[in-house]
Amino acid sequence: MHGLRAAIEWQSRAVVGRHLRVYLKNWHTSFLPPVLEPITLLLAFGLGLGAYMSSGIEWHGRSVGYMNFVAPGMLAYATFMTAIFQSLFGAFIRMRYQRTWEGQLTTQIELRHVVWGEILWAALLTTTYVAIVGLVLSVCQAVGLLQLELAFLPVVIPIVFVAASAFAALGLCFTALVPTIDHMNLPIFLVILPLGFVSATYFPLGHPVLAAISIANPLYHLAEGLRGLLLAGDGTGHLAGLAALLAVMLAVLVPLDMRLLRKRVLGD
Amino acid sequence: MSGMPPLLEAHGLVKRLGGRLVVDGVDLVCHGGQVLGLLGPNGAGKTTTLRMLYGFLSADAGVIRFEGADVSRQLSRFKRQLGVCTQEDTFDGDFTVRENLEIAASYFRPRPPAVGRRVDELLERFALATYAGDKPEALSGGFRRRLMIARALVHRPRMLFLDEPTTGLDPQARVAVWDLVNGLRADGLGIVLTTHYMDEAERLSDVLTVLAQGKVAAHGTPKSVLGDMLGEHVVVLPADGASRPAVATWLDAHGLGEPLTVLGAWHLPLSGEQLADFAHAFPALRYEVRPPNLDDLFLKLALPCTA
Repeated sequence: MHGLRAAIEWQSRAVVGRHLRVYLKNWHTSFLPPVLEPITLLLAFGLGLGAYMSSGIEWHGRSVGYMNFVAPGMLAYATFMTAIFQSLFGAFIRMRYQRTWEGQLTTQIELRHVVWGEILWAALLTTTYVAIVGLVLSVCQAVGLLQLELAFLPVVIPIVFVAASAFAALGLCFTALVPTIDHMNLPIFLVILPLGFVSATYFPLGHPVLAAISIANPLYHLAEGLRGLLLAGDGTGHLAGLAALLAVMLAVLVPLDMRLLRKRVLGD
Repeated sequence: MSGMPPLLEAHGLVKRLGGRLVVDGVDLVCHGGQVLGLLGPNGAGKTTTLRMLYGFLSADAGVIRFEGADVSRQLSRFKRQLGVCTQEDTFDGDFTVRENLEIAASYFRPRPPAVGRRVDELLERFALATYAGDKPEALSGGFRRRLMIARALVHRPRMLFLDEPTTGLDPQARVAVWDLVNGLRADGLGIVLTTHYMDEAERLSDVLTVLAQGKVAAHGTPKSVLGDMLGEHVVVLPADGASRPAVATWLDAHGLGEPLTVLGAWHLPLSGEQLADFAHAFPALRYEVRPPNLDDLFLKLALPCTA
């Protein structure tokens, strides 16, 4: 409870404020990835790969154009990757190389605020990215490339914020555990990339083993929940599963982050 | 000074790190307008003690009081009164010199009043105004230290912790930092300083706490610490002279143990009485007598570790 309260204390906001100030200093380059990545992916997967699937993809008993299938998956994938990479590389660099955390910890900021500051910043950045991706999707819809239920796009924003917080908490665990930046390859290639792709983000999970595993996969529920919202105006089942998984992740991972980082940063 | 209540006091501080007892029952006191030098060889527990004092680490046992109040009950309020300059540079490389001071101010509540004016004042005082728009990485070592100290002061703390503030600096930059520390003492700040430079400790410290193997080995003014731990005189004589066995026997007989050996010479700390006895025992021996300094103390404390 003590740790949860830290999320709303001024010190955590001060940490987020610091990261935001750095981000805004480089706004002209910072906005490129969320604008260009979805365009590239839509062209590559949607138009490129989709051209080979003229009859579309079967999704919940109906045929859906591949671009329409992939667009919500892109939002889920962007949520996962942005939150994880920010809490993995961004946080590791601040902790290890820039010694930003050590400087902050000599002030009124405590480790729990640094942890929550990193999680909330990753969530805020991710939500901003996804909002921009959403705008790009709206433009694509306006030019006739997509047919989505865009009225549900605002509902996506808070879902993405909470999901990104939980994914960032997962990323911070790896940050606390990897000895050097080179060891980041282990979580990236053994956990993050496989999870990113085998979660119904870019293709449906037809294999029964993958489908069974996906029940406990929050990214799968996020992708299917957003797809349900944006293709059918209803993703309730998956979003309920997602809410339960995110609650468990935050309840377990945030205290674990604190414990691991206390040892790593304070040597205590 | 003794009539004023201490700004900071610690009693019975204990800390274990990785199962090893690093700090074992340390007591210390620092008043406003006073520099407390925390000395000791590597591994003596200086940095760990300092980190407990400024709230970076929690103590396993013991109590820290600020103006008589237990800080563990109101850690955040206590930390508002502290400025910390760590051994390593921890400024924010993403920001300029000025922005570093501004962002540091954002980490304190109540917010420091008139931050812009305070930043200008610190840039001026620490001769950093010319570099205000530069990134810290562009600064020389001496100016980086100035920035670290200026950053520690942006919120007008009442206690300042300086962990080896002049390590790696050239003599000119060291003297400049000494002048700044002197000025801050004159402003009434309580300052806790760790250093490996004995001349720095002697010049800057009003009072010394000497740590060895996690415990307080001596406490007092530099002069009284030296007198208590070493005596009033140091006899220096060649370690390979013909008189060596006789001198070693004399040391054993007086319970003085192993002599300090530096560059082929024995340095024997002696009291006035022991010096008279030594002169009487070795009338034909050529040797130098000099007053003791903190280097002798440091070597004496380090001896068990290096033996």
